[in-house]
Amino acid sequence: MLAVLNSHEMLQIMTSGPYNYSYIFKYIIIGDMGVGKSCLLHQFTDKKFMADCPHTIGVEFGTRIIEVAGQKIKLQIWDTAGQERFRAVTRSYYRGAAGALMVYDITRRSTYNHLSSWLTDTRNLTNPSTVIFLIGNKSDLDGQRDVTYEEAKQFADENGLMFVEASAKTGQNVEEAFLETAKKIYQSIQDGRLDLNAAESGVQHKPASPGRPLAAPPAARDNCSC
Amino acid sequence: MLFGANLQRSYKYMNFASKMPSLRIDQNDLKCKNGCDYYGNPQWQGYCSKCHREQMLRQRRAEKASSNPSATLPRPEQKKPERGTKQASHSSFSKFEEKRLRQSETLAKKANLLKFSVFKKSSTDDHDHSERRAPEFKVPPMVNEGMKRDFRTRFPTLGAETDRDARVFVHSFIMDVMKCANVMSVDELSERVQRLYQRFMKHMDTSQHFAHVDSDTKELLMDFVEKHAMNYLHDLPSVVFSPSGTDDERLDRAMSERIQQLSWVGERHLECKLDRRHAACRQLLYKAISELLGMDSASSPGGKLTRVRRCCRHVLALCGAPASADDLLPALIFTVLKANPPRLVSNINFVTRFCNAQRLMTGEGGYYFTNLCCAVSFIENLTAESLNMDKKEFDCYMSMPASIGGSAWAAALSLCGASREAEEQREAAQRLLQDARNMSERAAALHADAVCFQEQIAKKVEDVLAKTPLEIKPRRELPRLCKSKTAIVTPLIDLELNPTPAEPQTAITEESRPLVGYTVPSEDNSQSSQPTIADPVPNVEKDSITDRINNTDTVQPASSIHELEHTNTAKQGTQETEPKLNILGFEVIEKPSPPKSPQNLDQTWQLKQTSSLELLTPSPLGFTPFDSRSIDELMTPDEFGSDSLAPGLSNINYDIDLSDFSGDNSVAEDPPKEAKDPFSPEGLKKAFDPFAPQPTASTFKEVLDKFDEFSLTDNKTNRTFDPFDVIHRNDPFSPERKEGSSILDDSDSPTTACLLPSPLQPQSSNKP
Repeated sequence: MLAVLNSHEMLQIMTSGPYNYSYIFKYIIIGDMGVGKSCLLHQFTDKKFMADCPHTIGVEFGTRIIEVAGQKIKLQIWDTAGQERFRAVTRSYYRGAAGALMVYDITRRSTYNHLSSWLTDTRNLTNPSTVIFLIGNKSDLDGQRDVTYEEAKQFADENGLMFVEASAKTGQNVEEAFLETAKKIYQSIQDGRLDLNAAESGVQHKPASPGRPLAAPPAARDNCSC
Repeated sequence: MLFGANLQRSYKYMNFASKMPSLRIDQNDLKCKNGCDYYGNPQWQGYCSKCHREQMLRQRRAEKASSNPSATLPRPEQKKPERGTKQASHSSFSKFEEKRLRQSETLAKKANLLKFSVFKKSSTDDHDHSERRAPEFKVPPMVNEGMKRDFRTRFPTLGAETDRDARVFVHSFIMDVMKCANVMSVDELSERVQRLYQRFMKHMDTSQHFAHVDSDTKELLMDFVEKHAMNYLHDLPSVVFSPSGTDDERLDRAMSERIQQLSWVGERHLECKLDRRHAACRQLLYKAISELLGMDSASSPGGKLTRVRRCCRHVLALCGAPASADDLLPALIFTVLKANPPRLVSNINFVTRFCNAQRLMTGEGGYYFTNLCCAVSFIENLTAESLNMDKKEFDCYMSMPASIGGSAWAAALSLCGASREAEEQREAAQRLLQDARNMSERAAALHADAVCFQEQIAKKVEDVLAKTPLEIKPRRELPRLCKSKTAIVTPLIDLELNPTPAEPQTAITEESRPLVGYTVPSEDNSQSSQPTIADPVPNVEKDSITDRINNTDTVQPASSIHELEHTNTAKQGTQETEPKLNILGFEVIEKPSPPKSPQNLDQTWQLKQTSSLELLTPSPLGFTPFDSRSIDELMTPDEFGSDSLAPGLSNINYDIDLSDFSGDNSVAEDPPKEAKDPFSPEGLKKAFDPFAPQPTASTFKEVLDKFDEFSLTDNKTNRTFDPFDVIHRNDPFSPERKEGSSILDDSDSPTTACLLPSPLQPQSSNKP
C-alpha cells in the first residue's frame, strides 16, 4: 500500500517545477552554548561565517532548498538555546523534527561530555525515525583540539549516529552534514519507515504539481453534514 | 415555618454563590430540566437531548407564529461590537496598563459568559440557545460574506469553485466543532480539528478545483480557511478558547501573578545582553512587548502566530547581531516577564490545540511560537538554580512586594512609552501645524481671489459705467440746446418727435449765436466774468482760449465752417472754432458754476467735454446751417424749422444741465423769462435753485468720475483743450436759455416730470 503511494508520489515529484519543492524537512540543531550552532546554520543557509557579517540577525531560523535524488527539499532548521538551564524547557523544539544535528566543540571537552544527555533528550523527544547527526565543530582550530576524531567517531558508532567534523568558519563539511542528513531522511521515507501523514514526522510532503491535474477522484466531500 | 423557609432560601443562595466561582456543579444541576432523569446539557438549555428537541420544536413553531425572521441572527449582531472593541484594542498598544485593564475586563466578561453557559437553566439567554441549537445552528452569514470578500482580495486569481470549497469547508468545520465541542474533551476536539485540517489539505491536493493551485497558495488557502473558521469560534465563549473543562483560566491568573512576582528578574539574571540605557534597546523592547500584548487580541491562531513572530523579530534585533537561539530565548523570557501578557496560557494552549499542526511544527511562526512556549515554561518552572543565584537571595526576592522589583525597567519602559507618546503628540502637533499652515495658505489664496474678484468687479462696473454714463452727459448739454431751441421753436410736442442728432447741431449754433449776435449774453458775460476770476484754472484756460478764439475768429468764416463739418477735419475745425466762439459767452456760464460745486468743477467740465464731443459728432448733418446761422444770424428762419425738431427731444435734459451750471445765470436771467413765459417764473426759480447744484453734483458724482475718464480719452483723441472748449459751448447755451428762459421754464417742468428724452440722447451719442 505504502509502496504504491510512494510510486505515485514519485510521479508527481518528477514533474514538479524547478522552483517547487516536494518536501519540507525540519531540522533542529542542538548542543551546548557556544559550540557554534548558529554559525553552522548560517554557514549552511547563507554560505557565510557569522563573524564576517555581524549585521546579520535572525539566523536561528534558516531555510534552504536542497536537492536529494532529484527531489527538491526545503530544509527548515531550528536553532535551539543550548544553555543548561533551558534544557528542561526546550523540549518543544524537538517536536516533529526529522533531523537533529548534535553539535559539540572539538576544542572544549565539556561540550563533548554533554553529548550523552543531549542524545538522551533527542531520543526521548523525537520519533524513532529521526536522523541524528553528530558534528564536531571548529575543525579549523585543530591546534586547540580537545576531543580527538577517533573518540567522537567511536561514540557515534556506538550510538548509531552519523558523524563528521566540520568548520563553520571555513565551511568545511558543513554542507555535507546537512545533505547527508537529508539523504538519510529521504531514504527512510522511501523505505516507508517514516510516516508522512504523521504531524510528528517532521516531514511535509508537497505533492502538488502545477498544471497537472490528478487522476485521483475528488476527496470525500468536506461539506458533509456529519 | 416562616423562618425555616427563609433560611432555606438563603442557604440555597449561599450554595449557589459559593458554586459560582469554583465552577463546580451539583449533580442535580446536570439533570434534565424536565426531570426525566437523563442528564441535561447547558448547550441544550439544561434539557436532555430528547426534551431539548421537543422544546426546540415548540419554540420553532412559536417563532414561526411570531414570524421573527432574524431568529438565527442575533448571534452575529451580538458579536460585532465585541469584535469592534477587540480591534480597537488591537490598534492601540501605546499603554500597557490600559491593555491590561481591558484584558481584565474581557476576562471578567468571559467569566460571566462562562457562568451563564454553565448555570443557565432558563431560556433567557437568547444568543446562547440560538447558537447551540445543534440541528438548526447556522453559521452566521457574516462569516460567509467576510470570507467572500477576503477571498477576493487575497486570491484574486483563484476561481469561484475554490472560493466555494473554502467556504463550504469553513461552514462544515464550524458546524462540526460546534457539535463536538460539548461532547468531546479539549484534546479530542483538538485532534478532530487537526484531522479536519488534514482533510482539507488532502481535498486541495486531490480535488480538480485545486489542480492549478501551487503548493504555496495552498498553504495560504489553508491559513485562510483556518483563520476564518477560528475567527468565529474564537469569540464563542468556552468553545475553543480556554474551553470549559480546562483550567486555562486559572492558569492564566496563576501565570499573571507569577510574572508579577518575578518582576524583579532583570537582564543580568537571565544573562542577556540588554542595555537599559540604550534608547534603541528600550524602543525595541517596547515594540516587542506591544506585539506580545497584541497576541491576545488576534482571534485566529495564525494571527496570534504572526504577533509572536513580530515580537520575536524585535527581540532578535534587541539581542544584537549576530544573534542565535542562545541569545533569543533569554531575551524572550525577559520580554515576557516585562510584558506580562494577558491570558497567556489560554492563548498558548489555543494555538497549540487548534493551529494547523503542520504550520506549528514548521515555519517561522512555529519556530518563534515554540520559543515562546519555552519561555513560558521556563518562567513557570523558574527556580534559584535556573537563574544561577543563591536560594536565599531568590527567596528574598520572591518575598518582596511585586511592585518593587522591576522598578528600573518599569521606569525605562514607561519612559519609552512616554517618549513614544510624546512622539505621537509631536506628530499630531506637526500635523496640526501643517493644517494650520495649509489653512492660512488657503486663506491667503482666498484673500487674493477676493481682491482679484473685487478688482474685476470694479473693472466691470467701470466698463459698464463707461458705457452707460453716456446717457447722463447728453442730458446736461442738451438741455441748454433744447432750451435755446425751444426758446426759438416753443412747441414741446415737436421736440419729442425730433431725432436727437439734430439737437447738438442746434446747440452749437445757438452757442455761437449768443456770443456774437446777442448783446444780452455779452452783458451776462461781463457780469459773470468776475466770478471766473475767482477760479484760477478756468481763468488761465480762458486766456489761452481767448487767444485762440481771436485766431479762430479770424479764421472762421461761416461758409468755411459749413464745408468743414462734412469732413472729419472739418469736425475738428468746428470744434476748435466753436469752443472759441463759445468761450466768449462761456465765461458767463463758468462763473455761476464754481460757487455751487467748486469741487466738482473739473469733473463736470469734463463731462461736458465728452458730451460736447458727442454732441459735436452727431451734429455734422445739421451742423453747417447752425454754425453759419449762429455766426451770421442770417440762417435763423430756415434752420429754425429744422432745429425745432431736434430741441424737442432734449428739452428735459437741458433742464438738468441748467440747474447745474447756471443757477446764477438763471436767476439773473429769470426776470426777462418771466416776462416772456407765464410758466417760467415759478418753475425756474424753484426748480433751478434746488435742483441744479445738489442733484447733479451729488448723484452723478461717482458716475461722472469714471465717465469722465473714458470720455476724456475719447476727447483727447480730438484735442487736449477740447474739454474747455466744450465747457464753453455748454455755457454759452445758458445765456441762450436766459434769452429763451420762458421756453426753458416750460421745458423745466417737463424735465422733472419726464426723463424720457434722456434715453433718446444716447442715440445721438452713438452716432458719432
